[in-house]
Amino acid sequence: MPKVLIPTPLRQFTAKQDTVSVPGATVGEVLGALTALYPDLRKHIFTDEGKVRSFVNVYLNDEDIRYLSKDSTAAQESDTISLVPSIAGGSTTTAPPEAAADPAALSNDEILRYSRHLILPEVGIEGQRKLKAAKVLLVGAGGLGAPLGLYLAAAGVGRIGLVDFDVVDATNLQRQVIHFTSDVGRKKLDSAAEKMLAINPYLKVVKYETALSSESALEILKDYDLVVDGTDNFPTRYLVNDACVLLGKPNVYGSIFRFEGQATVFAYQGGPCYRCLYPEPPPPGLVPSCAEGGVLGILPGTIGLIQATEAVKLILGIGEPLVGRLLLYDALGMRFRELKLRKNPECPVCGEHPTITRLIDYYQFCGVPAPNAAAQETRVNEGEIDVTEVKAKMDRGEDFVLLDVREPHEYKIAAIAGSRLIPLGEVPKRLGELDPKADIVVHCKSGMRSAKACGILRQAGFERVRNMKGGILAWSDSVDRGVPKY
Amino acid sequence: MIRIETEPWSAMVAHARQIYPDECCGAMLGIAENGSKTVSAALPLENAFAGPRAARYELRPEDLLAAEKAARSRSLDLIGIYHSHPDCDAYFSQTDLKNSCPWYSFVVLSIRNGEFHHANSWLPNIEQTEAAGEELIY
Repeated sequence: MPKVLIPTPLRQFTAKQDTVSVPGATVGEVLGALTALYPDLRKHIFTDEGKVRSFVNVYLNDEDIRYLSKDSTAAQESDTISLVPSIAGGSTTTAPPEAAADPAALSNDEILRYSRHLILPEVGIEGQRKLKAAKVLLVGAGGLGAPLGLYLAAAGVGRIGLVDFDVVDATNLQRQVIHFTSDVGRKKLDSAAEKMLAINPYLKVVKYETALSSESALEILKDYDLVVDGTDNFPTRYLVNDACVLLGKPNVYGSIFRFEGQATVFAYQGGPCYRCLYPEPPPPGLVPSCAEGGVLGILPGTIGLIQATEAVKLILGIGEPLVGRLLLYDALGMRFRELKLRKNPECPVCGEHPTITRLIDYYQFCGVPAPNAAAQETRVNEGEIDVTEVKAKMDRGEDFVLLDVREPHEYKIAAIAGSRLIPLGEVPKRLGELDPKADIVVHCKSGMRSAKACGILRQAGFERVRNMKGGILAWSDSVDRGVPKY
Repeated sequence: MIRIETEPWSAMVAHARQIYPDECCGAMLGIAENGSKTVSAALPLENAFAGPRAARYELRPEDLLAAEKAARSRSLDLIGIYHSHPDCDAYFSQTDLKNSCPWYSFVVLSIRNGEFHHANSWLPNIEQTEAAGEELIY
């Protein structure tokens, strides 16, 4: 029978025994049997409603059952169950009066400001106070984060956490409307927080200047009621998803690509999660980023505001949340479609027998180098060549092929003189146009697609193939400023 | 009544001074009999609070589980939790109360300008609405 270790102060209720063996197939059953055997113990572990008290954590061996299957976690004969208290505190003298003064109370100025909400019976004073008490974490202050930040601030969400480590770049201005031309070069966090506070000074913005990582995610997320995912990469998307599932926080998801977008709410009260939809990430390089593939500037506005709408609905508890439904938006056809999403019982993180019970290395999982490791890796890779070296080869009049694997419309925006265009997708069937013995340097916009092309060429027996590091962007930076960046 | 032996008491004060101006926290191991507790070992633990730790502390459940195991291996019991209040009275704050556990004695050490000032022990109730003072001898 599974063993339950009894903390010292509770042994007065278990006839002084420090270990009690009781039958049960799950942790819930074992605890039920234990408190049936020693009824006086019950109120020390469970509330009157039968819920485990807030200060009690239940561990199966070395694992908190919250991260396993909670009450239904299977208990084996040899397992040991421990009751571990949850303890914190502090001398904070300012916190109690604040709490006592009801932080969600609305001043007269706020009542005027939110008047159009207050006269909606579905919102009203009570709803507006819920918004004021709400804590929302925005991961990313970019394309999706821009409309989200502006509208959630205006709507009266009381506390918004922003996670971002980027600076505003001129190429952001076409869609990230929270950043102005004069903000180029500033931290996105500072630029976004300034606009949000200008819209609503009652807002509290908490800035996290970091790339969300497996080490920091749970600490940051745990203080928020819900998380809005505005990330642009797979490792962070899986990280946000898993952290939300582990912490039981809804994940308001959105993603954009070229003219199409998606949105849904993951990990909401037993609903499906991102891994139920995509158990595995796509192979690295298969799905281009916005920087590689382009994006209609207005698109993140549409998708971000769908996310903002869902966030506000969840906070207010009104309407039908976008749970178990993936909303697909096609801007060119101007159509919305809906796909049914089901929770996968085999899901490794939210399924019945989760195998992921803590955060993992998401860069490794997605097969992409971690941001800081990337620089190092390219330096040691002999298959790469620096833009300045390519320029030197040209100047020396060396005989080599500069192969551009971008799309024709990109070639029209900017091209390196003397380069030869074969778009990545056509490379496999046009290998015959290239001499397998030639010295070939491959480039694209930033180096991702050309790296794939190098792989294709090497596999086909080409021996002297190198990838031009940083692509045409690096060329523009270091060789010829006359070549426009896009 | 809770009595803390000299050795663990010195260790607790040293820990609190060392971590000042942040809050320190740890576990107290010993024996509890007929309402009288004797602490014979102090186990300093890491303050795992994510934000500024000058006025907050948090214990990892894993660390408490390890403390419980350490106690059992020495034939002792986990009987209390200690933490420091830097430049602040050794009272039981609302934050302390709302994050407490009625199973243990909570010893609070007031540290002023880096030096030990005074200490109190508290027994929170199960509803976490109030804490009674407990006689503390060291």
